[in-house]
Amino acid sequence: MARQAMVMALLVVVLAAGCCAPAGAAAYLSKLPVTLEVTASPTSGEVLHGGEDEITVTWSLNATAGDDKEYKKVKVSLCYAPVSQKEREWRKTHDDLKKDKTCQFKVTEQAYAGAGNVTYRVALDIPTATYYVRAYALDASGTQVAYGQTATNYSFNVVSITGVTTSIKVAAGVFSAFSIASLAFFFFIEKRKKNN
Amino acid sequence: MERQSKPAAMEVEPASKPKFRIPVDSDNQATEFWLFSFARPHMSAFHLSWFSFFCCFVSTFAAPPLLPLIRDTLGLTAKDIGNAGIASVSGAVFARLAMGTACDLAGPRLASAAIILLTTPAVYCSAIINTPTSFLLVRFFTGFSLASFVSTQFWMSSMFSPPKVGLANGVAGGWGNLGGGAVQLLMPVVFSAVKKMGSTPFTAWRIAFFIPGVMQTFSAIAVLAFGQDMPDGNYRKLHKTGDMHKDSFANVLRHAVTNYRAWILALTYGYCFGVELAVDNIVAQYFYDRFDVNLHTAGLIAASFGMANIISRPGGGLMSDWLSSRFGMRGRLWGLWTVQTIGGVLCVVLGVVDYSFAASVAVMVLFSFFVQAACGLTFGIVPFVSRRSLGLISGMTGGGGNVGAVLTQVIFFRGSKYKTETGILYMGIMIIACTLPLTLIYFPQWGGMFTGPRPGATAEEYYSLEWTEQEREKGYNVSAARFAENSVREGGPKSASGSRSRHTVPVDGSPADV
Repeated sequence: MARQAMVMALLVVVLAAGCCAPAGAAAYLSKLPVTLEVTASPTSGEVLHGGEDEITVTWSLNATAGDDKEYKKVKVSLCYAPVSQKEREWRKTHDDLKKDKTCQFKVTEQAYAGAGNVTYRVALDIPTATYYVRAYALDASGTQVAYGQTATNYSFNVVSITGVTTSIKVAAGVFSAFSIASLAFFFFIEKRKKNN
Repeated sequence: MERQSKPAAMEVEPASKPKFRIPVDSDNQATEFWLFSFARPHMSAFHLSWFSFFCCFVSTFAAPPLLPLIRDTLGLTAKDIGNAGIASVSGAVFARLAMGTACDLAGPRLASAAIILLTTPAVYCSAIINTPTSFLLVRFFTGFSLASFVSTQFWMSSMFSPPKVGLANGVAGGWGNLGGGAVQLLMPVVFSAVKKMGSTPFTAWRIAFFIPGVMQTFSAIAVLAFGQDMPDGNYRKLHKTGDMHKDSFANVLRHAVTNYRAWILALTYGYCFGVELAVDNIVAQYFYDRFDVNLHTAGLIAASFGMANIISRPGGGLMSDWLSSRFGMRGRLWGLWTVQTIGGVLCVVLGVVDYSFAASVAVMVLFSFFVQAACGLTFGIVPFVSRRSLGLISGMTGGGGNVGAVLTQVIFFRGSKYKTETGILYMGIMIIACTLPLTLIYFPQWGGMFTGPRPGATAEEYYSLEWTEQEREKGYNVSAARFAENSVREGGPKSASGSRSRHTVPVDGSPADV
C-alpha cells in the first residue's frame, strides 16, 4: 500500500514538472516577410543523383524589400515538395518553425552579404524525393526573420543510392545458406541416430 | 506428456548414482531453479531456450529503431510502415499454434531450432531490400520466429517440477521478450559504429541487420548441439523405449477448442502481450517524431519499455503463485484482472500526457511493468485450464497475443487516421474493455472471480472429463490425475490439506508430469 502511494506521488510530481514546459522564442513562417529571391540551377522536374550531381543556388535581396540590417546569416535548405510529404507525418509542414519538418537538409549556412550563391553536391544521405529550395535570413541569435524560396511550381527530383553493395548481397546469401545447411546437417544426424 | 504409471508403492528402485547435479523429483524434473548455473540438462535447457527466444525477438523488432532511416531509404509512407508492423506479428499467430503440435511430435529442441534457422534468411535479406513490399515481406517472415515462445514454455514445463514451473516459465518468457527492448538500444549503437567505420547511412543500417541474423543462427545451432528435450533424453529415444504415449492431434484439438476458458485467455493475452508487441513497434518512432529526440535517445526510451521484462514478467508469475497460496485460483484471476486493468488505465494516461516528454517517459515505464506482469499472471492460469491439450492451449493463448497485436496496430496505428498519441489513448480503453471477460472464467472446483466453487466439485473430475472411460481405463490420464492432486492449493487456504506439502514426494506417486 505504501509502495503504491509512493508510485502515485511520483507520478503526480512528474506530471506537475512536465506541465511547466519551457516556452522558447518561436518564429512562424506565415509571419515572416518574403524578401529574398531564390533560384536553383536544375530545371523543373530534372532528376539528380545523390553523390554525383551538383546544384547551384543563387539568392538576392528583393528590390522592394525593406532594410536588411537585421540579417546576419543566410541559411539555404532543401525542402520536401508536397508530393513527397503526402502520408508522411515526419515531413509535415508546421507554421511554428521549431516544429516544422519540411526543410531538413542544409545546403549552406553562411554570413549574409546581400546576394550570394553556392554550389552544392547532393549528399549521399539525401533521400529519394522531390525538392525545392528555401533560404532563410537569420538574425544574430539565429532566429529566422525573413525567407525566400524558389518559384511556386518549381521542383526537382533526387534519386539516392540504395545503399546495397555487392558484398552485402554476397554476405546475405552466404549466411542464409549456412543457416539452412546447419539445420539440414543436424536433421541428417538425427535420422542417422534414429536408424542405428 | 503422459507416462505409464510407475510401479506400485513399495517397490524399491535399484540404487543408482544421482545423474543430475540439480535436485530432481521422481520424474527427474528439477525441483530447484538455479539461475546462474548451466547444469545439464535442466538449467542448460533454460539458458538455451530463453536466449534463442531472445534472439528471435531481437530480429523481429530490429527494424523499428532504425525506421527513421529505413523509411527514407525506401520511401515508405505511414501506411507502408503500419502494414509492415502488422505483418511482423501476424505470421506468428498460426506459427504458434503449429509449434504446439510440433513440440508434441518432434520435441521442443528440434521444433524451435527448425523455425529459428528457417527464418534467418529473412533477417539476412532485410539487408538487401529496396521496396516497401519487400520490407513488408521480410518483416512478415522474420516474425514467424516468435513461435519459439511456445517451445520455451513447453520445454520449461518438461524440465521443471510444478512448484518451480511457474518461475521457470516466467523467467524464460520474460527474458526472451527482453529482446524486444534490448534491440532498440542495440541497433542504433551498431548503426553508429558502422557509420563511424565509413559507411553512408543508407548502407550502415543494412549492415546492422547482420548482427541479429548471426545471433539467431548461432543460438539455434547451440540449441541443436547442446539441448535435450526431456530430463531423460531426447524424444526419439523416449518414443523408441515406449516411455511416452503419443496422443492424437484430433483429440488434443477438440479438447482445446471446446474449452471456453482457452478462448477468453487468448483474448485477454492479446491485450497484454499483444499491446506489448504493438508498443515495441511504434514507441521509438513516436518519441523520435513527437519529442524531437535523436535516434539514440528514442532507442533508449523504447528499450526501457522492453527491458522492464527482466523483472516484470517473472514478477507477474511469482505474484500469481503467491496469490494462489493465499486465495487459490480466485486470487490468480483477480490478480490478473487488476494488474491488466491498471495497465489499461496507464495506457490511457500515456496517450493524454503527450504534451510533456518527462511525463510520457515516466508513465510509459509504469505502463510497461503492469502490462508485462499481466503476461506473467496469464501463464500462471494457463497450465490449469487443461492437461490433455496443454501444448495447444499455450499455443492458442500465445497466438491470441499476436492477434491482439495485429488488431491493435490495424485499428489504431496504421496510416494517418489517428495521431499516435490518440491511438495510444484508444488502445488503453480497449485494454480495459477486453480484460472484462476474465470475470466469466469459472472452474467448478475452484470458483471464479465473483462466485465460489460448486460444492463437491473436484479437480480430478474436471481433468478426467477430458478422457473417455476406455482411455481412463488404459491409464492415459494418470499424470493429469497426479496434477489434480498437486493443485489442491488452488482451492484456496481452507482447502489445502495441512499434511501434504508440495515439496515432498509421496511414495507412490510423483509431482505431475506436465
